[in-house]
Amino acid sequence: MSDMTALDNTAADTLPTLRIDRVTKSFHTAKGKITAVDDVSLDIRQGEFISIIGPSGCGKSTLMNMVGGLIADFDGQILLDGKAVRGCQPSIGMVFQEESTFPWRTAIENVAFPLEAAGMERDRRVARARELLDLVGLTGFENHYPSELSGGMRQRIAIARTLAFEPKVLLMDEPFAALDEQTRLLLGDKVVQIQQQLRQTTLLITHNISEAVHLSDRVLIMTFRPGRIKRVVEINLPRPRSSEMMGSEKFAKFVAEIWHDLREEASKGLRESEAAAAAR
Amino acid sequence: MVAVGQMNEARRARRLRVSSVTTYRVVALVLVFASWEIAGASGLFFRGVIPSTVLIAQAFVRLFGDPAFYTHFAITLFEIVVGFVIGSSIGVIVGLALGINRFTGEVFEPMLHYLASTPKVVFLPILLILFGIGVGSKISLGAMSCFFPMALSVAAGVRTINPMFLRVGQSLNLSLGNRIRKIYIPALTPPIATGLRLGFGIATVGCLMSEIKLSNHGLGYAAMQSYNRFDIPTMLALLLVIFTLAGLGNYLIGRLVRLPGPTNRRVTALPPR
Ligand SMILES: Nc1ncnc2c1ncn2[C@@H]1O[C@H](COP(=O)(O)OP(=O)(O)O)[C@@H](O)[C@H]1O
Ligand SMILES: [Mg+2]
Repeated sequence: MSDMTALDNTAADTLPTLRIDRVTKSFHTAKGKITAVDDVSLDIRQGEFISIIGPSGCGKSTLMNMVGGLIADFDGQILLDGKAVRGCQPSIGMVFQEESTFPWRTAIENVAFPLEAAGMERDRRVARARELLDLVGLTGFENHYPSELSGGMRQRIAIARTLAFEPKVLLMDEPFAALDEQTRLLLGDKVVQIQQQLRQTTLLITHNISEAVHLSDRVLIMTFRPGRIKRVVEINLPRPRSSEMMGSEKFAKFVAEIWHDLREEASKGLRESEAAAAAR
Repeated sequence: MVAVGQMNEARRARRLRVSSVTTYRVVALVLVFASWEIAGASGLFFRGVIPSTVLIAQAFVRLFGDPAFYTHFAITLFEIVVGFVIGSSIGVIVGLALGINRFTGEVFEPMLHYLASTPKVVFLPILLILFGIGVGSKISLGAMSCFFPMALSVAAGVRTINPMFLRVGQSLNLSLGNRIRKIYIPALTPPIATGLRLGFGIATVGCLMSEIKLSNHGLGYAAMQSYNRFDIPTMLALLLVIFTLAGLGNYLIGRLVRLPGPTNRRVTALPPR
């Protein structure tokens, strides 16, 4: 037992579970070649919470889709526990930017979906789905259909559904983008609490700087096209964290530091979209 | 108080609308009956072509007392149901294959469109050679008739499925069988329901068409026999039975196929943000 903890603290903790190694992805479109992700390398430790932040169109979703296996055709390598990731696998769970709950299933049926597809018997999967709904604070809404719930509740269903399979790695693409600020903060608290409880390696894509600081161990700032890693900011704020520490001086310092780097990229993105609009 | 008043008013308006709809329906029916009787008595048509409704009612009574009628009825019902089930199932499978695989869709879908718009009776001689003049050829023509609308409706439906649903399936690495059973089919309930409702009527047409052309049993055959005997009241009674059968089938399918979800509607649409 003591050996195990020793191992946990040394080897296992420092050994990267997810390694992104010189990954590049270009799309060939009618207007020519677009390099969405350019030579990105990153080692993510077991249980680490990483946020990726960058202007729209810088390749964040593309990077996530490569890690998740939805894009299998790219240059470079992505390794999970030393094995190459090509194609989807249940040990990597994804929460998408877009609405993705099934409207024909109730909340609990949505959450139980992956377990049902894997052939888990009814009683067990319902019990498990109930736990997960409780975890995301949706007890009492088991039998509601998505159209009867708010956007924030639907996104929580999507998160619970992804957690149902107990993925080792959790990928979330702007899961809170469509939510109002208060819901976003409360849901952020919930996610960080769950992640600390389950110790999942997590990659969160976001537009929101304070959200990234609030949740992450490290924040990655990406450049505007081609998407490269501009800087990695280590967030050494103490845990457990909650949205209440957002008033602290240290928190504000991190936000200012990240904005300083991001600002340049964001204005590049803005200029480009203005130029595109003018050309049209 | 105001709210209650409004509710009462709405209810009254609805009741008024319902009662006027009923009135118009009754008036329309009376008009149809009256013009039928007038046309029959006017002497403008060949004698006996438009028999009095009394004669038709008598024909009904005779028909319902005749055991042979029930045999014809059972055979026709059997042909329609079996043809409908076979044709619709194959239609769903082929529609999925065309919709899911872009290549097969591009190759075969235009062909299917052309075939769908040709009258299926032209295949009857081939089917008669293949299956004989028994129920086989009737069932196969019925199946063939309802296959096309189902296949085309499902193939078109696949392309309107929200891609996010498919991405969820892909990210979970679901097998093709699971994707079809748990994502495609539920997402395709509206086009499948449309295919079933359209298909039942068309399968009925297919089966009766072949009964009328060449057969030795079934309601279509019985109607043709009455025609050959110039027993117009019985023929009309049989045709009314056939209409009722087709209408009832359509109604039952509409009631039985419930779209999943809270309002039983809008299955492919996303919930509002
Ligand atoms: N399937 C695709 N085909 C062509 N271009 C694409 C495709 N997916 C993404 N892109 C382009 O790659 C760039 C990065 O897109 P994306 O990863 O979605 O950005 P982000 O998520 O950071 O907003 C964009 O310029 C986008 O237009
Ligand atoms: Mg994106």
